[in-house]
Amino acid sequence: MLQKLEDLIIEFRSSIESVEKKASLFDLKAEYLGKKGKLNVILKSLKDAAPEDRKELGIRSNNYKIEIQDAIDNKLSQLEISEINEKLEKNWQDISHRDSVRDFGMNSAGYHPVTIVQREIEDIFLSMGFDILDGPHIEDEFHNFEALNIPATHPARDMQDTFWFKDMEHLLRTHTSPIQVRGMEANKPPFKFVGPGKVFRCEALDASHEAVFHQIEGMMVGENISVSNLIFFMKTLLSEIFKKDVNVRLRPGFFPFVEPGFELDIECLICGGKGCSVCKQTGWVELLPCGMTHPNVLKAGGIDTDKYNGFAFGLGLDRLVMMRYGIDDIRHLHSGNLAFTSQFKSY
Amino acid sequence: MIVSIDWIKDFVNIPDMPSEELGTKFTLVTCEVEEVLLTGELLNNVSVAQITEVKDHPDSDHLHLVKFETGKGIREVVCGAPNVKPGLKVPYAPIGTSFPGGFTLVPKKIRGVMSEGMLCSETELSIGSDDSGLAELPENAIVGQTMLEYLGRKRDVLLDIDNKSLTHRPDLWGHFGMAREFAAVFGEELKYPYNEAWEKSLSEKFSTDKAPVTIEVAADSSCLGFSGISIDNVTVQDSPDWMKERLEACGLRAINNIVDISNYVMLELGHPLHIFDRDTIKGGKIVVRRAGENETFVTLDEVERKLVSTDTLVCDAERASSIAGIMGGLDSGVKESTSRIFIETANWKDSEIRTTSSRLGLRTDASQRYEKCLDSNQNKQTLLRALDLVLQLCPAAKVVGNIETDGYKEEKAPLVLQMTEEHICRVLGKDLEAGKITSILESLEFIVSEDKGLLSITVPSYRATKDIECDADIIEEIGRIIGYDNIVPASPLNAISAVRLSNAKKLTRNIQDFLVLRARAHEVLTYPMVGEKLLKKASWPQLNEELQLANPTSPESDRMRPSLIPSILQSAALNQKTQSAFRMFEVGRSYLPDAKKFSNERSQVALAWFSKKESPFMDLLNNLEDLFAYLNLKVKLSRPDYRSVNPYVEPEWKGLHPNEILNFQVMGKVAGFITSVHPVVSRDFKIKGNLAIALLDVTDFETRQIKDKTRYEPLSRFPSSTFDCTVVTESKEPVASIISVLNKLKIKELEQVSIVDVFQMDNDQKAVTVRTTFCDREKTLSGDFISNFEKSVMDTLEKNGYPLKK
Ligand SMILES: [Zn+2]
Repeated sequence: MLQKLEDLIIEFRSSIESVEKKASLFDLKAEYLGKKGKLNVILKSLKDAAPEDRKELGIRSNNYKIEIQDAIDNKLSQLEISEINEKLEKNWQDISHRDSVRDFGMNSAGYHPVTIVQREIEDIFLSMGFDILDGPHIEDEFHNFEALNIPATHPARDMQDTFWFKDMEHLLRTHTSPIQVRGMEANKPPFKFVGPGKVFRCEALDASHEAVFHQIEGMMVGENISVSNLIFFMKTLLSEIFKKDVNVRLRPGFFPFVEPGFELDIECLICGGKGCSVCKQTGWVELLPCGMTHPNVLKAGGIDTDKYNGFAFGLGLDRLVMMRYGIDDIRHLHSGNLAFTSQFKSY
Repeated sequence: MIVSIDWIKDFVNIPDMPSEELGTKFTLVTCEVEEVLLTGELLNNVSVAQITEVKDHPDSDHLHLVKFETGKGIREVVCGAPNVKPGLKVPYAPIGTSFPGGFTLVPKKIRGVMSEGMLCSETELSIGSDDSGLAELPENAIVGQTMLEYLGRKRDVLLDIDNKSLTHRPDLWGHFGMAREFAAVFGEELKYPYNEAWEKSLSEKFSTDKAPVTIEVAADSSCLGFSGISIDNVTVQDSPDWMKERLEACGLRAINNIVDISNYVMLELGHPLHIFDRDTIKGGKIVVRRAGENETFVTLDEVERKLVSTDTLVCDAERASSIAGIMGGLDSGVKESTSRIFIETANWKDSEIRTTSSRLGLRTDASQRYEKCLDSNQNKQTLLRALDLVLQLCPAAKVVGNIETDGYKEEKAPLVLQMTEEHICRVLGKDLEAGKITSILESLEFIVSEDKGLLSITVPSYRATKDIECDADIIEEIGRIIGYDNIVPASPLNAISAVRLSNAKKLTRNIQDFLVLRARAHEVLTYPMVGEKLLKKASWPQLNEELQLANPTSPESDRMRPSLIPSILQSAALNQKTQSAFRMFEVGRSYLPDAKKFSNERSQVALAWFSKKESPFMDLLNNLEDLFAYLNLKVKLSRPDYRSVNPYVEPEWKGLHPNEILNFQVMGKVAGFITSVHPVVSRDFKIKGNLAIALLDVTDFETRQIKDKTRYEPLSRFPSSTFDCTVVTESKEPVASIISVLNKLKIKELEQVSIVDVFQMDNDQKAVTVRTTFCDREKTLSGDFISNFEKSVMDTLEKNGYPLKK
């Protein structure tokens, strides 16, 4: 009896191996586990066995029943999966054929590099409590010159190659400084704000000169603002912009709307101040003009100069953009050319 | 401007320091030194040698082997000069000598023979123009002496200063003014040779004769004072070497002693002057007057200049001799035969010099000084210094008469500014020891008196013309002399206030974000200025002639753009050459003329979706609808008709598509439009493909706070029921019409009508499957209800001309 049982399980183990279809599996199940199946036949003849073998036979046949049942279940799910996988194989797709390798035109999207850098800088100012203002591109002489302490006869007007309209009264703003004037007119001190935007200069164009470019102007007005505050602020700001500690130095610079006026240099980020070709071996790179706002400018903006003073600065955005990405020609910025634009932060 | 340190040393001691450091220090304290140049280095390395032996080079028929005595031993070089001969004294440059242009002598074999340096020609050392052979030095030249010593020249440090950084400092346009600055910077004593004793010794040379030239200044001219003096018996010849050397170091060519004196004095004292050949002055007088209308004058550069009545001329009794303060004419100058001269120093109104010089496009050494606003008090010193030099260089010269003057304005009281030391320290953010401020100001020749902490500061007249006007100017003087590096940075103390992006800024950012991240478009920038050619190419009806520039850089950008559309079309035309499809947009401004305010700047977004294959119109339209939803803006889309004026596009613009066009209305006003670009306009731009564009003007609502009006509705506890039915209609029937018919059904349980499918049956007809969704929030809909609803849906469709598909 025992031998019969052992033969049966060996036979089952080998035949389930070769099953490849669900139908044959069900046949196999009936053959062994069905009412008239091979296992039942043995169980039925249990009573004929010797009493001393009966217990052992009962345990074994029960175990084999479980083994057969499990084997059939496993085989069934295996067969199901391979059946599904066969179908999936028929629906094969080429996962290397991605948008990034397809030619269906400009399939990416992205911000203009000026937008990327401008936002970053606006956010730095915002985090330092500065409001962000803007003003018109077409200005009058008052806001672009007079209110900024640049009267009609001032030599400083030489430095600014102004685009005039035919009425010779209106002009395209030559700097973002008129935003200062409008900011003072609209706010009561203390205040601090920046004004980013387009500015216009009547210049001969080349790789580093554009007639249309971007600046960001900033101003802080309050009680007891000092040169020491200005230096502190500039150091903090520029460390944020360049994402590392920078050293700055001020030297006298002439700008009619500030007094004292400064050229601010930063220690060369390329050589760390040791001297290289970028900084012309001086260790310093001229970065931006700034200064204590000239009392005449504050007065023109309606500020009480006995009580308040302040500082102002201007930053060329395009230069930062060009430095950041290594852009060789400023004229690309306004070219409307996707071959250029698509290189920046594309998604 | 070039500053010679050797010249500066006439007036002040300069501490010993590397010349680079000197330049940096001056940059940090006064004005920008662009370059520090060393002169005389080459001549200092080259010395006098005497040739002892000349042999032919074994491998060459024109080279020689030359041995010579250097004073430090015999050397040998290979030399190709034809004039080598034993006994000749020549300049010798040893190994290591650097020549201008960056070339340095290194030990080198020439055709197998070692050459220890080089014998030089005049041109190689820039000491003459003969380049035919070695410079032949005379017998008495001392072997071993440097060429610098031999020529009696000095080494010098030249500072090349950025003129722009001197815009506000007329006092620094001469060496004496610069020396005054150096004295303050380095705390050195300023030597002041042009003092009262000096003036007195010169005035002793005046004679009691009647002045041969008198001066008449018209009161309405731009003259602020004119002085002159006549001198006889001068000899025109070459200037002495020291004078030539200094002029040349500063970039001026030496001409003759008299012309050189006028240049030398200008470079020394910063005040221009002119020396006349007195025989050219007709009628014995100088007349300063306004130019007549239509008057012309031929300047020294032989250009005939058209004058206007606001220009001022310096004339004699008969005709003009110079345009005041700018440039002289052809014949008043000193010639070799001149023996009688008249020296003129004058001062002119800065603004008038500037106006005339910029109108004529004529900027000279004189005009760029006058336009900085000079001090009339300097006239006399300048005149006397010129006289001083004439008498030095022409000992036989004789002054005739006294100084003649006219045109001086009443002398202004000196400018006195009052402020406290505490105020100066507070603005700088640095405490200074008592007396420091006063000593700095005194070193700059301000006169300071103190009364109970209040400083009264008298500004020297040469700084008070324009430069120093108020306390801030004094604070700058103190700040720069103590050095801004010595101010410790400190955070401002500011009240806390909340800041956030303005509504307009937020709107712009949201639009950019949506268009890039969701609509997958590229942001571009185009020029805000356009030309008539582009507008015409785009058939844009508005040419914006009112906003034309007076001085455009090119006709392609001679006016402000009336719309972003022509620019974005141009950009699309450029990009379609290389791309089969793209989406792009620009956030920018357009500019419209405005009768009251001159101009009206509009904040706009222009979008252009392009595809070679299929029309991108529906994509663009869907993107825009989503954009409005994202911005929480309610938008009404409508086909343009005679009732709705669209300020952003003229209805007759050729670029509009007859069918694929919609206007947007936001907050009750038209805010833009979308259209497929008409093939006629695409053709004009050589665009091959389908282009859809849209323009959105946000100006009218960008500053408003836009609220998110989303409200949650509780989910229904009862199931909804949907019903689909398919109707047949004409191909060109908009599906929206079918929806609107059903939306008019007055059934409160009708929750939604939507289009499930559209199937083109043939050229004329299509089948549209419409889904209606019903729901009662109070109870489960009964079967009767549902069949009733379905019936009324079908009836309504049928009644409105949408028969059910059989
Ligand atoms: Zn460097």
